[in-house]
Amino acid sequence: MQKRIFPVTGSDTAHAMRWGAIAAFSLIVGIFLGSRGLRDFDPALVSYAGACVFTVFGLGYRYAMWLRRPPTRLYWYRGWQIFLEPRHFLRNAVHLGRIILRNIVLQRFIEKRSHLRWTAHWFLAWGCILAGAVTFPLSFGWIRFETAAHNQEIYRALLFGIPVGSFHLGTWIAEAAFNILDIAAVMVLIGIFFAMWRRGRDHGAMSVQQFSNDLIPLILLFAICVTGLFLTVSTHLMHGLHYIFLSQLHAVTVILTLLYLPFGKFFHIFQRPAQLGLDFYKRAGAEGPQAKCRRCGEEFRSQLHVEDLKTIQAALRIRYQMADGSHYQDICPQCRRKNVALIQDGLWKATSMSERGLL
Amino acid sequence: MMERAFFIDYSRCIGCQSCVQACAECDTHRGTSMIHLETIERRDSVQTAPQICMHCEDPICAQVCPADAIKKTPDGVVQSSLKPRCIGCSNCVLSCPFGVPKYLSNIDQMMKCDMCYDRSSVGKKPMCATVCPSGALTFTTMEEIQRTRQGIPINSWKFGAEEVKTKVYVMVPREVTRVDVDLVQIRTTAPALPKDPYDVALMLEEIQ
Amino acid sequence: MARLPVDIPTLVKDFGPTLHRIPAGGWAHTIEDEKLVKTHCCFCGQQCGIQLRVHNNKIVGFEPWEDFPFNRGKLCPKGVKRYMQDEHPDRLKHPMQRVEGKGFEAISWDFALQRVSSEIRRIQDTYGKDAFAILTGASLTNEKAYLMGKFARVALQTANIDYNGRLCMVSAGAASKKVFGIDRSANPWSDIPKAKVILVAGANIAECAPITTDYIWQARENGAKLIILDPRMTPIARNADLFIPVRSGGDIGVFNGMLHVMIERGWIDRPFIDQHTVGFEQLAETVRKYTPEYAAKIAGVPPAMIVKAAELWGPAPTSFLMHSRGIEHHTKGVDNCIAAINLVVASGRIGREGCGYAMITGQGNGQGAREQGQKCDQLPGMRDIANPEHRRYIAGIWGVPEESIPQKGLSAIPLVEAIHDGKIKGLISICFNPAISLPDANFVREALEKLEFYVNIDFFLSDTARYADVVLAGSLMEEDEGTTTSVEGRVIRHRKVVAPPGEAREDWKILCDIADRLGHGDKFRYASPREIFEEMRIASKGGVSDYFGMSWERIEENNGLFWPCPEAGHPGTPRLYENGKFGHPDGKAHFIPIEWRPSAEMPDEEYPIILTTGRVVSQFLSGNQTRRIGSLVDQYSQPLCEIHPRLAEKLGIADGDFVKVESRRGNVVVRANLVKTIRPDTVFVPYHWPLDRSANNCTIRAIDPVSNIPEFKTCAVRVSKVNQPTDPIAMLEVQAGGIQ
Ligand code: SF4
Ligand code: SF4
Ligand code: SF4
Repeated sequence: MQKRIFPVTGSDTAHAMRWGAIAAFSLIVGIFLGSRGLRDFDPALVSYAGACVFTVFGLGYRYAMWLRRPPTRLYWYRGWQIFLEPRHFLRNAVHLGRIILRNIVLQRFIEKRSHLRWTAHWFLAWGCILAGAVTFPLSFGWIRFETAAHNQEIYRALLFGIPVGSFHLGTWIAEAAFNILDIAAVMVLIGIFFAMWRRGRDHGAMSVQQFSNDLIPLILLFAICVTGLFLTVSTHLMHGLHYIFLSQLHAVTVILTLLYLPFGKFFHIFQRPAQLGLDFYKRAGAEGPQAKCRRCGEEFRSQLHVEDLKTIQAALRIRYQMADGSHYQDICPQCRRKNVALIQDGLWKATSMSERGLL
Repeated sequence: MMERAFFIDYSRCIGCQSCVQACAECDTHRGTSMIHLETIERRDSVQTAPQICMHCEDPICAQVCPADAIKKTPDGVVQSSLKPRCIGCSNCVLSCPFGVPKYLSNIDQMMKCDMCYDRSSVGKKPMCATVCPSGALTFTTMEEIQRTRQGIPINSWKFGAEEVKTKVYVMVPREVTRVDVDLVQIRTTAPALPKDPYDVALMLEEIQ
Repeated sequence: MARLPVDIPTLVKDFGPTLHRIPAGGWAHTIEDEKLVKTHCCFCGQQCGIQLRVHNNKIVGFEPWEDFPFNRGKLCPKGVKRYMQDEHPDRLKHPMQRVEGKGFEAISWDFALQRVSSEIRRIQDTYGKDAFAILTGASLTNEKAYLMGKFARVALQTANIDYNGRLCMVSAGAASKKVFGIDRSANPWSDIPKAKVILVAGANIAECAPITTDYIWQARENGAKLIILDPRMTPIARNADLFIPVRSGGDIGVFNGMLHVMIERGWIDRPFIDQHTVGFEQLAETVRKYTPEYAAKIAGVPPAMIVKAAELWGPAPTSFLMHSRGIEHHTKGVDNCIAAINLVVASGRIGREGCGYAMITGQGNGQGAREQGQKCDQLPGMRDIANPEHRRYIAGIWGVPEESIPQKGLSAIPLVEAIHDGKIKGLISICFNPAISLPDANFVREALEKLEFYVNIDFFLSDTARYADVVLAGSLMEEDEGTTTSVEGRVIRHRKVVAPPGEAREDWKILCDIADRLGHGDKFRYASPREIFEEMRIASKGGVSDYFGMSWERIEENNGLFWPCPEAGHPGTPRLYENGKFGHPDGKAHFIPIEWRPSAEMPDEEYPIILTTGRVVSQFLSGNQTRRIGSLVDQYSQPLCEIHPRLAEKLGIADGDFVKVESRRGNVVVRANLVKTIRPDTVFVPYHWPLDRSANNCTIRAIDPVSNIPEFKTCAVRVSKVNQPTDPIAMLEVQAGGIQ
């Protein structure tokens, strides 16, 4: 297994380009097939679909790059290896469901960081997911709505050209379906409001936040929501006033955001699931043998993790081998702290003792 | 104002924990203390030692982080993990040569000393180095430290064969240029000292 | 009827100590609308400068005050977390009275003051003026300390007022006064780093005066040698050039032995002695027999250590001596200090840059509070209450006939004994928690129960206040303003940061109101603490501690002024005794020969071990404030008995075992902490905790004949392993006296 993970060979860029291209090509194929050879494809949305292809290229590139980093690569392989372990597969699948609910759906770990942060994040995340769930398939031509042939009052939704449901105009489902993007926009705006409130008040958050990383994403989302809501306002309240201009403006904000996606803060959406793999890794570690610190003799971490770290460190050319053949990684963090202090204090004690003629 | 730096002299520490109490008052991590204060071995000694982040030039914690969550600011301060990224794996906790990062299981995230970034980034001293009554933790100019201390500040370390350079300095006697952690056997009393140097009963036995 | 109205667990439930952990407004911090107020720490005598953060009229945190010259932003953990006593759930917010079987009920100020004044009248009319006593404290501002003395002598006309500085600075003060003629540290702290040898006797600087650490380390950086005397290896001692693990009470052996060697080797300053001192010959005569061998037996250490100490101290060009409770809390506390000071004077190294002497004040205003006339034998300005001239001057300031000022009253321990004897029937106390801080705690609690009427002024319901008939909700340091005088003799300004919460009132207002109800309101018409300061300043004029030339503005401008400061333009006096001019009328220092004598109770067959008591860095005195602050309690949550592994092995005790430390008077059950850093004939228990966790259950009620300080540092005990206690007190939370 170790052999398969390391060493990482070949040019990083070429490798990442390849994966980027594969991802982009897959999407194009997906669009073509999913829209039944572009029959269901809405040409008005072509700019969105195009931007998505670029974005997917970027994501593939970035993800591949990310997986080239020794620690990530190791966890990637280990995570799958442990998850797919045939003996535990059923147990693992059940557990996966549980942690997806806890970490991805409810995002409980964020709640513990701060309620305000959690509230903000939850609204932002679910607003975006909701919007994405509608807009991406729409612009790829994967879903489509049409009125039923026999009844103008009934709408049918088709996925990949296959009818998956229908609803009657005037029902709440219809209302929800037509206004789903507005609902999503409001959710995102609520999230932005909480996030900005927090960032504007918490002195600690203010001092570490960066404009490009922490504020740009909020600004982009804000722009999408506002222009999107204006479209609704324009349609329903202002008889389509400036509709064309507004829709172009909206498209620009969306496309910018899509292009930003692989490179800025939003990339964490794709990194985050690694936490799930890690959960399995930690469990496997805890069930296996534990590493004991060479200095204090106490258990401090799973043997699996400590040995994997040595592998990672070797791949990163971190040379923790000690002169006596032992490995610095076998010393627990607490002993490292004590050890450094003892050495420094010892240097002083030696000096003062040699001054006093004791050494 | 002249550029100020962080200087540690472990041997001065008196274990009062002002640093620990004050660390929790810093706004970037208020309510959670990031500094470590070790009681070396209470049975044998009263020695204690603080450990803040040394802010390595090429931080090992960041290198081993799978999530790319640890970032260094342009002024050389290694920050706490980025909240959206950190997946709580503890690679950093276990790999840091100085044993600095803390994994907080309740939030499933690593946090660490960020030199009170809210303070140091605007020219204020970090909390611990302001309150520390012993001067074990000091934030001042290089000139001032050279003027007032017997020893010299060094920031070169060697752990095994790994050389590490840090933004934070440690005070050592004049002849020392780098601390080689691998040269010293690891045990509970300082290497240069006789066994049990702080045993009062032994001191009283020396009746000549 | 000063008995507990209900059982302790119920009182704890209602009034704490509960742990305060989260600051007002939560941890997330906003800097909008924030106000920073420069003031000082309310705890120890170092009186560190600190800024308190105020938001919406609430204290929400602190910020170091780096410009204050003494501590330059440095703080110990108590200072860092002191702000957690603000907005505290246990805070008393209205007057209360005792209700049998229920606890305490809120009453109006009018009713409370009426009841207090009529009880004072009744007791004084029935049993005489002196049957109503006052116990006050050394953490009060100068203004309040002054007011307490005046209140006793003018409003109550009782002789019996004393303060908890009696447990703190009196031995050092008396010794200093006897040898130097003035009761104050002789030097500012800035002299410490300039000394080439520093002798610290009985002072756990790292924990009880942490800010002084940097001064000492700085001296070491400058090449100073450090000598430490302590039965325990303290954190400072770990880096000492010479650590002398002296037996508690054996210090005179070391001091006299050192002087013996110094005289023998010619390491004394003859010209200085001839010119500026008297009494050296008798002293030399006395120490002649203190050969290192003889001295070492007294001190319980190898003779070589004493010789080494003399070798380090004797020939040094500059030096600094510091001592505190370790040598002062003895029935020979004054003698211990004198023997130490003799070393300073014999070397002639005093009154110059880098040459000096200091006693380390324990309590917040340990220095100032003993100058303003709240001691049983003193009037303001450190004036002598027995001296007719002094009495006349103060009578003039107060506008009362000299004869109306009572004579000297009882000091704290005899005062409590008089309560126990039924001679004193009524008590008013403020800033004093004798149930924890006095020795022989079982006796003290018995005494409290014998009071006919007890009124307590406090901001939290202290362990002693639980015995009160009436509790008056007073003010925290930051809820009032005034001055204190720090360890250096530096008079500094405490600013008002917020108003007392609810109906709680500033202490000085409460006292003035009581005085008013007793018919002496005309003598207590102050609009503010500043007016009290103005009167006090004049009262101190011409006294030893002369504040006459000070004003609050000058104090603020100069970051404090050192007394004496006799006139308006006077710069203050940071360093005393310059040019060999001492405080006695003859201008000389007076050597006093000291002979060692045993402690009141020496270990014997039955009680073979010495118990010594002291403090930990995260707690302050009786813990009434610090045992309510979560993170301070976390740092060191319950008392531990430090015991050497060799002794523990003999007694069959392992680390963490429950042990009973037992003297002839009582016992304390705590966990054992096996450490090699203590003498094997001695155990140590810190005293900040109440009830069954109070080290003072064991300590002895013996006092120094001169200073009347109790012998906290030595008593005989036996130690044995016991099972984990499970009684209702043991089950309380640790800060309330429980055990884990
Ligand atoms: S504040 Fe300073 S002396 Fe106190 S524990 Fe921390 S480093 Fe040590
Ligand atoms: S705990 Fe977080 S910051 Fe540390 S290595 Fe893991 S992912 Fe990175
Ligand atoms: S308790 Fe004493 S040393 Fe600690 S901060 Fe307060 S004044 Fe300073």
